[in-house]
Amino acid sequence: MLRRLVILCAAGACLASCARPTVPVTIRFEARYDDAVIGCGQGSAGVALSDLRFYVQDLHLLAADGSAADLRLDADGVWQQADLALLDLEDGTGPCLNGTPAMHAAVSARVAPGQYRGLRFSVGVPFASNHADPLQAIPPLGDAAMHWHWRSGYKFLRAGLVADDDGFWIHLGSTGCEGTVRAISGCRAPNRVSVELPGFEPGRDVVIVELAALVSRGELQDQAASDCSSSPAETACVAPFKALGLDLQSGAGAGTQRVFRRGVPR
Amino acid sequence: LRRPAAASLALLLLAGITWWAVTDRGYVWHIGAHLPRPEVPDDNPMTEIKVELGRRLFYDRRLSVNDTMSCATCHIQALAFTDGKQHATGATGAPHPRGSMSLVNSAYASRLTWANPLLARLEDQALIPLLGDDPIEMGMAGRERVITDLLRTDPRYAAGLPKAFPRDQDPFSVLNAVRAIAAFVRTIISYDSPYDRYLAGDESALQPAAKRGLELFFSERLECFHCHGGFNFTDSTTHANATVERVGFHNTGLYNIDGNGAYPPGNTGLFDMTGQRRDMGRFKAPTLRNIAVTAPYMHDGSVATLDDVISHYARGGRLIAEGPFAGDGRRNPFKSEFVRGFELTDAERADLIAFLESLTDRKLLTDPRFADPHAGAIISSNK
Repeated sequence: MLRRLVILCAAGACLASCARPTVPVTIRFEARYDDAVIGCGQGSAGVALSDLRFYVQDLHLLAADGSAADLRLDADGVWQQADLALLDLEDGTGPCLNGTPAMHAAVSARVAPGQYRGLRFSVGVPFASNHADPLQAIPPLGDAAMHWHWRSGYKFLRAGLVADDDGFWIHLGSTGCEGTVRAISGCRAPNRVSVELPGFEPGRDVVIVELAALVSRGELQDQAASDCSSSPAETACVAPFKALGLDLQSGAGAGTQRVFRRGVPR
Repeated sequence: LRRPAAASLALLLLAGITWWAVTDRGYVWHIGAHLPRPEVPDDNPMTEIKVELGRRLFYDRRLSVNDTMSCATCHIQALAFTDGKQHATGATGAPHPRGSMSLVNSAYASRLTWANPLLARLEDQALIPLLGDDPIEMGMAGRERVITDLLRTDPRYAAGLPKAFPRDQDPFSVLNAVRAIAAFVRTIISYDSPYDRYLAGDESALQPAAKRGLELFFSERLECFHCHGGFNFTDSTTHANATVERVGFHNTGLYNIDGNGAYPPGNTGLFDMTGQRRDMGRFKAPTLRNIAVTAPYMHDGSVATLDDVISHYARGGRLIAEGPFAGDGRRNPFKSEFVRGFELTDAERADLIAFLESLTDRKLLTDPRFADPHAGAIISSNK
């Protein structure tokens, strides 16, 4: 028995599943527009956030040989469960009218010892948690602002931008769900975003959320209603979904996402 | 699974209608003998104290972000729990794309709101106006703490919630507030209209015109009853003893913007939920009980009067000659097979309206059991 375990652990892919996650690691996130750091106040980009909150699940660090090591998140009773975190990059000031002063810009976790050169995660909430009763959920799923009561499930991402007197927002979540609330059998468009950032080094790099990929300056200031609530019929969803690497109709992956990228902190 | 503790406690004669007191695990329903017992979720049984708490919460404006709006703002008893507006407006002024639905007999609704196939329980539906932000209605998302603080500090809630939810360690939760509101809304049942009295054997309850209108309503010529059938005048109806789930969504040819069946953006009905082209413009048939007091009509309040509604169905779809929504709804490819159009004389039209008016339950519109318990009192000094 012991020998079999040893053999298993010797296999390359085993680094992740056998070694214990003991080393603390922090994954930081930063909001940018055209690479300029932005927040709820007017920044140098001339663009401000009106919202930026999202769930990440299924986090892994990638070793040079391609193997993946699970990140075990520190369950803090507020922002993180073992495999789910709510990132909150808005502080409730200025245009962030629906926001909160508290922020959570970094995932704290533990990982098995190793040399890592890459990061992988999904923007989303696991299916079972996503469709359970939000009023009985434990943090970070108790947050009503993140729940989508009429669609069932959470807004995986809610992001908004303002420039002068025009703006844009997107609420990303599963659509086309079947069954009834609390008994959802499946969703035609799950709309979870797969992110893989090769070369990512936790001590050195940050995850940049590049919002210009979601909406260009021209579209942002077109004086037209351009809000996206993940409906396949919404023309305002076409470009942002493409940037998120999602097919608007099916919710399946469609190319590489361009919103999350690796960068050095500012 | 649930055993109906159905025992008829009392059989009272109230001006012609049989008032049937049906008990359900100790709770006494006030419904007509011709109506089935409503379905109640196992985790939210009916009790008098819960219903009374729910009524207070339903009328409490402190459940909105700026203390301006309660559930009753859009659901006014005298208007059969609608608001008389084409579109509702949220606490912060945000317009709602659809009109406020009547809450009457929502205890019997197999699905709630205008076109949401996922919403089967009032407990789930109530979260949308309370916490939704697209559009903002009561605007309490992220302010749950304000709600639980209110429940803890208002003397009536502080005293009542532990009794209504005796098994809960902490009964002062948003979940329990929503459960209480849902329990109250379940009691808003219409069973005492002239039509109900007529069904109960009172021949004089309906005027001759209404009786002729009844025949027209249930005729194959007009086809009204296919979608507005049954005791609740809608095909999306359920009850405690229902064996088959009945859920219906119908495109009635109100729009046909692009000639391919399109409805106005943001108001595409079931399509908005499913993304399936065939679901374009499909909405739930609302109950017709008290329909005479719930104008304007349709999901977007775009039809002003009952007379206009009849004209729409008589034509087999609406023609919009110009403007951004121009198109001939009669040719909408997704239109219900029962909206085919019909000829109607002026006299027949008047008869049909007389019948629809006979579905108005005056007692429900004034019943003190459903009225504002805060009326005449200053809420903030509630003692």
